[in-house]
Amino acid sequence: MKKFVTPIKIIGGVIALVGVILLILAPFLGKNFFDLLWAVEPFTYLGGILLVVGLGVTAATYSGAERFIKNSDHGLNGQNGKHSWSETTLQYFQLFDHDLGRPLRRIIGKERELRAVMQANPGSSDAGVIELLDEIERQTPNFRLMMSNIQVLIQLESPESDDEVQPVEPNEVIRRIADRYTPVAAEAGKEITWWSEPSELGLVYANTNAIEHIVTNLVDNAVRYAGTHVEVKLTKNPTHFFVRVWDDGPGIGAQYVPHLFDRGWTPEVVRREEKSSSGLGLFIARNLARQSGGDLTVESNDSPDSEHHTTFLLSLPSNLTAELNGGR
Amino acid sequence: MSRVNAGRNILVVDDESESAILRAVRRRLEEEGWTTTVIEPESGHSLGEEFETATLWSIEQTLPDAVLLDVRFGENRDDQFRGLSILGEIVERWPKLPILMFTQYAQGPDRETAVRDSLKWDAPVDFIDKLASPDEVVLRLRRLIGTAPESIPIGNHILVDVSARLVYVGEGEDRDPALEIQGMKFEIFRELAVTWYRSPGELVAFARLERYSEGEDPRASLRVRIREIKDAIGKAMNTRFGPSELIINIRDQGYRLVPPKS
Repeated sequence: MKKFVTPIKIIGGVIALVGVILLILAPFLGKNFFDLLWAVEPFTYLGGILLVVGLGVTAATYSGAERFIKNSDHGLNGQNGKHSWSETTLQYFQLFDHDLGRPLRRIIGKERELRAVMQANPGSSDAGVIELLDEIERQTPNFRLMMSNIQVLIQLESPESDDEVQPVEPNEVIRRIADRYTPVAAEAGKEITWWSEPSELGLVYANTNAIEHIVTNLVDNAVRYAGTHVEVKLTKNPTHFFVRVWDDGPGIGAQYVPHLFDRGWTPEVVRREEKSSSGLGLFIARNLARQSGGDLTVESNDSPDSEHHTTFLLSLPSNLTAELNGGR
Repeated sequence: MSRVNAGRNILVVDDESESAILRAVRRRLEEEGWTTTVIEPESGHSLGEEFETATLWSIEQTLPDAVLLDVRFGENRDDQFRGLSILGEIVERWPKLPILMFTQYAQGPDRETAVRDSLKWDAPVDFIDKLASPDEVVLRLRRLIGTAPESIPIGNHILVDVSARLVYVGEGEDRDPALEIQGMKFEIFRELAVTWYRSPGELVAFARLERYSEGEDPRASLRVRIREIKDAIGKAMNTRFGPSELIINIRDQGYRLVPPKS
């Protein structure tokens, strides 16, 4: 119903406006056609009626819409404020995230305490216990990324999603992601190296959350499939900045490359195995990149020799000209 | 582990400071040499308000090097984002004090509001979610605090003494200075060590290191100095570092320090 409200309001406004115009023009219209004062009156009456009808339609639409929004807002969240569908979904998700996060923090906290005790008493640990602790620690980044992916997906698919740009230092964003994944990679015997060219890339104007989220997904993916090395390189040209994420993993067969960015696609889908991830990461990453006016592409080599690798290239506009001109 | 941050204090403001996850973070901070002070307000009033008052009083009294601040305090609706109001109070009074916010949500409206406010204040504020590893918390705090410590331990066998401009090699009390690493060679190694301390995976570009080289071909001169540094440290450790050990050249872009495996 909500989608009809705005056009009806506009129609009401137009009718009222025509009414006002008729009222103003009535003396001239009447004189031109009949050259008599009594001839003005029909136009005056018509203008008056149109004005009243137009205002009536607009007012009725306003009160009807208010009632509709109020009725639809008595949801499970118990709030009467005006919330859009996506805001309400986000609220539910955050409740869910909070309630799931608490027990998970307890498990991870206990795991870290137990690990500290075991490190203080080396030799006393059971191999099965160590395996369990390692597994909990290994799954934590997956959980963090999964929750974050769902949250971004809700925002991304929201009709009201905005892509507000702010001043961002891409080097700092990459540094934060490297902080998060360096210990994860080290745990798996892999290394992450990153640099920017020039070494101080400076500021760009972009959506910080979008950059962080896209590159987090790319680095997560690279660490998962790399042999031993992941490299992240930042570069720029006068209009765009680029993040290239390279890994020395086995590469992706050319026949699968077109499906990489499909929602829910993972390599396990082809092998009919249990999926190791939701397959949302790259789908979200490309959508976010395109929504921000950029793109995300991939190049891969799955040859059996040492040349195999996968490279993702993210390009995003740096919006420097728009900002200098005071626009967005 | 060397107490590289001896004397530095981190104020922890979190109603779950006694939870296992916060205890793990505090333990890691203390390993790093930081002391931690935990805000423990007296009970009897509104939880969030008490934390706010106790935090501001504590900063006034001790002026910590950084604050680790939770966003949410308890389940009371009024305290859902109490941390953001405490953040606002701190930034208004001590705009240069580094603050690391512990958020429930890595992304989302609370973070966005806080990020926007912190940009407006130009304050050293950063955000991290509670499932972050203690190592990640340490790295964020190192950068927020900004200044590198006077001595940087690289693994268990190498210590860079920035104030004495010496590199010590060996374990514990048996450390001896590697006297071959002096002058420009020390500056190169210090540059690599400081970058590694603040951002372990970050490459140091040739351009930054060539400042410490001379001659017609500064790249070649830099390569020679890097090899001499590796040889000197290797000799003191009775080993020889290969091309992918200690200081590695990445795709002809620059060098990166990799602590030797002990």
